[in-house]
Amino acid sequence: MVELRIHGRGGQGGVTLAKLIATSRFLRGQSVQAFGLYAAERSGAPIQAFCRYSDGPITVRNLVYEPDHVIVLDPTLIGLGITKGLRPGGWVLLNSPDAAASFTERFPGHSIAAVDATAIARAHGLGSRSVPIVNTALAGAVARLLDIPLEEMLAALDHLGFGGGNVAAARDAHAGLAVAQAVGVAAEVGTVRPEPVVRGPSFVAGDGGAPPGIETGQWATEQPRRQQYVPPCNHVCPAGNDVQAFLHALAKDRVDEGLEILLRTNPFPSVCGRVCPAPCMASCNRIQLDGAVNVRELERYAGDEGSVSLRPVADRDERIAVVGSGPGGLTAAYQLALAGYSVVVFEGAPEAGGLLRSGIPDFRLPRNVLDRELDRIQDLGVEIVTDSPVDRRRLLELSQAYDAVVVATGLQELRGLQLGVGGTDVVMQGIDFLDRVKRGQIRVDEEDMVVVGGGNTAMDAARSALRLGAKSVRVIYRRTRAEMPAIREEIEEAIEEGVQLDFLRQPIALQPVAQADGDSAAHGLLCRRMELGEPDASGRRRPVEIPGSEFQIPCDRVVLALGQSPDLSVFPEGTEVREGDRLLGMLERPVFAVGDLATQEGTVAGAIGSGRRAARHVHQTLSGEVVPTGRDSRVRSDVDVWHDEVIRDDALRMHLFERAPVQEGQALGAEQRISTFDEIHEGLRDPTEARRCLSCGVCNECDICVTYCPEGVLKRVGHDLVFDYAYCKGCGICVTECPRNVVFMSHL
Amino acid sequence: MAIEVVTGNHAAGYALAAAGEANRTARGMACGIYPITPQTEIVERVAAFPFTKGRVVPVESEHSAMGVSIGASLAGARSFTASSSNGLAYMVENIMTAGFYRLPIVMVAVNRTLGPPWNIWADQGDTLMLRDFPWIQLYCETNQEVADFTLLAFRLAEDRRILLPALVCMDAFIVSHTQGETDLPEQGLVDRYLPDLALPHRLRHDAPRTLGGLIWPDVTASMRREIQDAMEAVPEVFEESRRAFVEVFGRDPGASIETFHTEDAEVVLLVSGSVATTAREIVRERRASGERVGLVNMRMFRPFPEAALREACRTAGKVGVLDRDYAAGLGGVWWQDTRAAFQGHRDDLLIQNYLVGIGGGDVTPETLDDALDDLNGRSAVGPPVWTQIAEREVMV
Amino acid sequence: MSSVNGGPSSVFDPIPEIPCVEECLLRAGNTNCGGCGMSVGLTMLGRALAEAEDTCMLAIPACCGAVTAGAFPTTSYGVPTVCTTFAGSAAVASGLASIRDLNGESGQVICWAGDGGTYDIGLATLSAAAERNENIVYICYDNEIYGNTGGQRSSATPPGARTTTTPLGKKEGKKDVMAIMAAHEIPYAATLSIAHPDDFRRKLRTAFDTQGTSFLLIHSPCPTGWKSEPSDSLELVRIAVDSGLFPLYEVFGGRAWRINVEPTWRDPSGYYERQRRFRDHEIDTEITMRVCRERFGRLSVLAERFPA
Repeated sequence: MVELRIHGRGGQGGVTLAKLIATSRFLRGQSVQAFGLYAAERSGAPIQAFCRYSDGPITVRNLVYEPDHVIVLDPTLIGLGITKGLRPGGWVLLNSPDAAASFTERFPGHSIAAVDATAIARAHGLGSRSVPIVNTALAGAVARLLDIPLEEMLAALDHLGFGGGNVAAARDAHAGLAVAQAVGVAAEVGTVRPEPVVRGPSFVAGDGGAPPGIETGQWATEQPRRQQYVPPCNHVCPAGNDVQAFLHALAKDRVDEGLEILLRTNPFPSVCGRVCPAPCMASCNRIQLDGAVNVRELERYAGDEGSVSLRPVADRDERIAVVGSGPGGLTAAYQLALAGYSVVVFEGAPEAGGLLRSGIPDFRLPRNVLDRELDRIQDLGVEIVTDSPVDRRRLLELSQAYDAVVVATGLQELRGLQLGVGGTDVVMQGIDFLDRVKRGQIRVDEEDMVVVGGGNTAMDAARSALRLGAKSVRVIYRRTRAEMPAIREEIEEAIEEGVQLDFLRQPIALQPVAQADGDSAAHGLLCRRMELGEPDASGRRRPVEIPGSEFQIPCDRVVLALGQSPDLSVFPEGTEVREGDRLLGMLERPVFAVGDLATQEGTVAGAIGSGRRAARHVHQTLSGEVVPTGRDSRVRSDVDVWHDEVIRDDALRMHLFERAPVQEGQALGAEQRISTFDEIHEGLRDPTEARRCLSCGVCNECDICVTYCPEGVLKRVGHDLVFDYAYCKGCGICVTECPRNVVFMSHL
Repeated sequence: MAIEVVTGNHAAGYALAAAGEANRTARGMACGIYPITPQTEIVERVAAFPFTKGRVVPVESEHSAMGVSIGASLAGARSFTASSSNGLAYMVENIMTAGFYRLPIVMVAVNRTLGPPWNIWADQGDTLMLRDFPWIQLYCETNQEVADFTLLAFRLAEDRRILLPALVCMDAFIVSHTQGETDLPEQGLVDRYLPDLALPHRLRHDAPRTLGGLIWPDVTASMRREIQDAMEAVPEVFEESRRAFVEVFGRDPGASIETFHTEDAEVVLLVSGSVATTAREIVRERRASGERVGLVNMRMFRPFPEAALREACRTAGKVGVLDRDYAAGLGGVWWQDTRAAFQGHRDDLLIQNYLVGIGGGDVTPETLDDALDDLNGRSAVGPPVWTQIAEREVMV
Repeated sequence: MSSVNGGPSSVFDPIPEIPCVEECLLRAGNTNCGGCGMSVGLTMLGRALAEAEDTCMLAIPACCGAVTAGAFPTTSYGVPTVCTTFAGSAAVASGLASIRDLNGESGQVICWAGDGGTYDIGLATLSAAAERNENIVYICYDNEIYGNTGGQRSSATPPGARTTTTPLGKKEGKKDVMAIMAAHEIPYAATLSIAHPDDFRRKLRTAFDTQGTSFLLIHSPCPTGWKSEPSDSLELVRIAVDSGLFPLYEVFGGRAWRINVEPTWRDPSGYYERQRRFRDHEIDTEITMRVCRERFGRLSVLAERFPA
């Protein structure tokens, strides 16, 4: 008689394997028995099955205690228990991807056979992902070990109705089986038969109540792990804000914490919350669901409503000069002050703020908002010296007097357009126009105005003109609306207020009108129509003139908002300005160029990012300390795998999110707006919009996984997710239910 | 309370209710009740009782009647119910549950013929079918015994050494519906006799346990063995309970096995239930005519009082076992266990079975006389004798 | 953004401290299959009790839940539990609750029963307990199958499902046990889905606060019996709610109805395709959806005409 013992897991088909072996022997006329040891364990739990066959009648009905051979269906079950009672000379068949020889020392005295039945079963689609059914594959392997012709085993399969993938799996395992000869001597086994109990636990004696303590983690073939991706908003933010993190804080109504997170990278949240074009919103994965999270308004909310007191983290002796008090310069000053340096900012204008002060009208950025953020910077100890322009000579002095100089003079060179009637008030630069508006030095009552350009300056100028009494305001742009660099919302609001947008127009010349009277315009702007041609270097389609398409637009005044470029005259001849690098060929002390001056990016956020990077370079240069550039949030101890990729919407489980409309701040009506320079947006009333953040690829402690874990073995301890692997059965619900893809299954 | 003329059912209902009321100073009582002829009067009396701390739950089936009582008992309350015949058969699953859970529930059973076809008259086959369950079984001859054994059953079942449910049985109509003088003890005495129930294994929030999940073979064997230990303790605890009964009520409820003229008997009749009354009279008559006849009245069936029975039949050469029940393919259930009790001890003893009053057939003195005559004339044991059936020629 | 669907937007609702595993009603190290819906339900029940600062005794008839306990003397239940006979849980619970109330004690008495013990063998017992308005919470975790015995049909098995006793797919429909229970005019009856945890928790709390009988029906996925991936368990019952296969609603006193989640009438194909019990047998989802819409229509009429 031959006796076999099979170790497997519920659902893997161990009992059926016993029956397959028995059937193959039965078909040869032998007596057989095949049976399982049935207990309470369910799918995935360790089970045992047995097979006996004999030439004569089988005369026992008890369990197999001293098997001739042992078969192990699951790699995770390979342990010392499997050879209990195994007779000398008996082989052990393992389902394992590892080489048979690697087990011979672990199980001395027995030859070991191994085959990767799991891979074979998966390849033939047998069973489920978590519990592949490996029995038919192993039947093929058993046939080889027992010297049963494969055809006989296949006949048994056929007899029991197994076909298709099962037959193929049996063939594969039969062919792929590797056998390693026994080494060493098997250890003595103690008693293997059940011993009588003296007296068991009793109801009436009050016994019982202890947890079963079955380490069900041993059932698992896979285990969940934590991972983290880069959310697209964080990736694209020019200022380097940790958008996801501040939204998370706001979502939990922790506004101060949200502000604190923003202030790590950005000293101007209230400003950016009003004027930033918000590339984070353009890249927001929630667009695929129901619209981007209103990050800009939330940043404004945090900046306006939050309260954080800052103080330098150290005290340093070095002194830094910053030239220019725009967002780039002040960010560098702010970061350096935080790091403990003494910082003096030199501003040529009478007031600090640079373009923020002069170039953005009050209805978009009220003075007091900017003042508040400037105060915060000054409260850190940053000294701002106004009315103090810096030229090449002055820069040389600064570089001698200070340990380092940061130059952040922005874009001061305005792009013009030769229209033939220059140098008068009839043709003005947008920036100058806005500056004069801010100072209350201009009115345009009853004028017909033309603004040339498609950026925010153009919009601001046009909208300001309406508020200053213009009869009509027309914006002409050489491309189409799709190419306009202005913030979408600002374009929409301008249209609402009555600004007319003309696309695919190129101004050529301004011509006086001969018979102008009080009602009709004094000039005519000759324009040419354009069409879009091939894309240019910026990726936008290049406007191409249509010959002979000239026409005239009557106007009293033309405002040019065609963009700006840096004024490099402050530097020695031949200086190559590159962001971050210490400027070469200059003075003995390090000088850095920052913001639009260096990047020409043209956004506040970009200047802020540049300012922060400059501060880091200054600090590295002066202190020799290497400042880590990686993600600051990588302090989480419960993340097993960090991905540097940006997570896209198709990696999220979008269907698990509920739709919710975008929340906007209240705005004044168009009629009301154009009569005043008051801020037109009220801002959000509460931070609940932040709850719309999907927190792409970053755990936001939603605890859905904790809620759904069937075993209750997934816990949140502080901010960490803790899996109790001793009990986790590896069902994978935490993975499929995580909407933001921060849990994944790892094969054991 | 004075002696009154009441039915056996009345006596049972009174005793159950008084026992339940007696636990008002502890966790109270609750029970499930369900009607079936001929026990209905018992549960009616229970339902009408104004319990101070108790609830009678009129349920939809015997299965649930025992279910409610199991729940109440698990919650630490005193509990009981009553049923009969097919009601018991329907209840069987929960009857054994109560036993395996070691719950000291007392159930009064009125012995009625199992059906269908339907027959409402006396036959012990219904409770004897429960013979292999962990239940104490007591059989009553009179209304007084019904009252007394019901009370005694609580004391016995609830004893820490026992913790087994108990059946108190009486014959349908002959006892259940027969009016007779019965001493129904005052509540104060019952309160004295039955201490507050403190079930050691009741469900408690402060020590959560699970009763009735899975159990491995070795623990199963151990628990069965524990039940056997408790069963073996029953005779001693029964005697203690009997002595306490005498002390409180001033009356002896009787031993678990009554012997009458067995001290020198050559022939012994073994009976249970109401037949004992008639049998005692026959024995008295035959004794008067010089026959050395004795009587054993079995008041306890589980545990089977083997030792006492062997002692009672020490001098006898023949025992006639009268069974008002029929185990198919075998004969009488009492006969079977009696034979087993003597096997290996008195292999010379002639133990003959008489099936009397099956299906509620009237058992008259003549029935018993005929049986005794038959027994006296026997030199060897034969198949069970069906006393109600004239021997017929076998039709070919 | 209160959420009845329990989608992620609800996650910002304050989440109470989750008691550590040792204190949970369902302990770790139990023998349930991975991905078992009953396990999820028990875990949620334990949390709802902890949140309500309440406790319970369980009466569990023969079902997987009884096996969950494991072998005596150990137990996977952290609360006092009795495993009753198959048909007996509502009766045993009646006894437990009676003595609890007589002694003025607190704590829920909860029947935790499968569909076999509820729709089939235990229905008479349950009906009687409901008719007596026993002060118990009866929870049926409906996995639509006799799972404990290896997957036989019950009267809760949906049409088309292959079981070991309906090898060609079940021909008959699923018994409307909610209508039966509502007809008893018990104070509270509700359907629950583990994929809607907020709604689930609220209904448990309502049942805890109800004097008299509450009946809660949980749609409980069974990866083994449904032949589905364990990790799909939540998604399956979510589709069932969305597509109207398992509407979430409450009935108060048998006289007032409230629908908790409006189905999105999502195509239920995903529900059928991910369960091999439905494989080999053509499920006409159009007919299924029509039946669902009709049933939901009736519910809607009740909820409109007799609002809670």
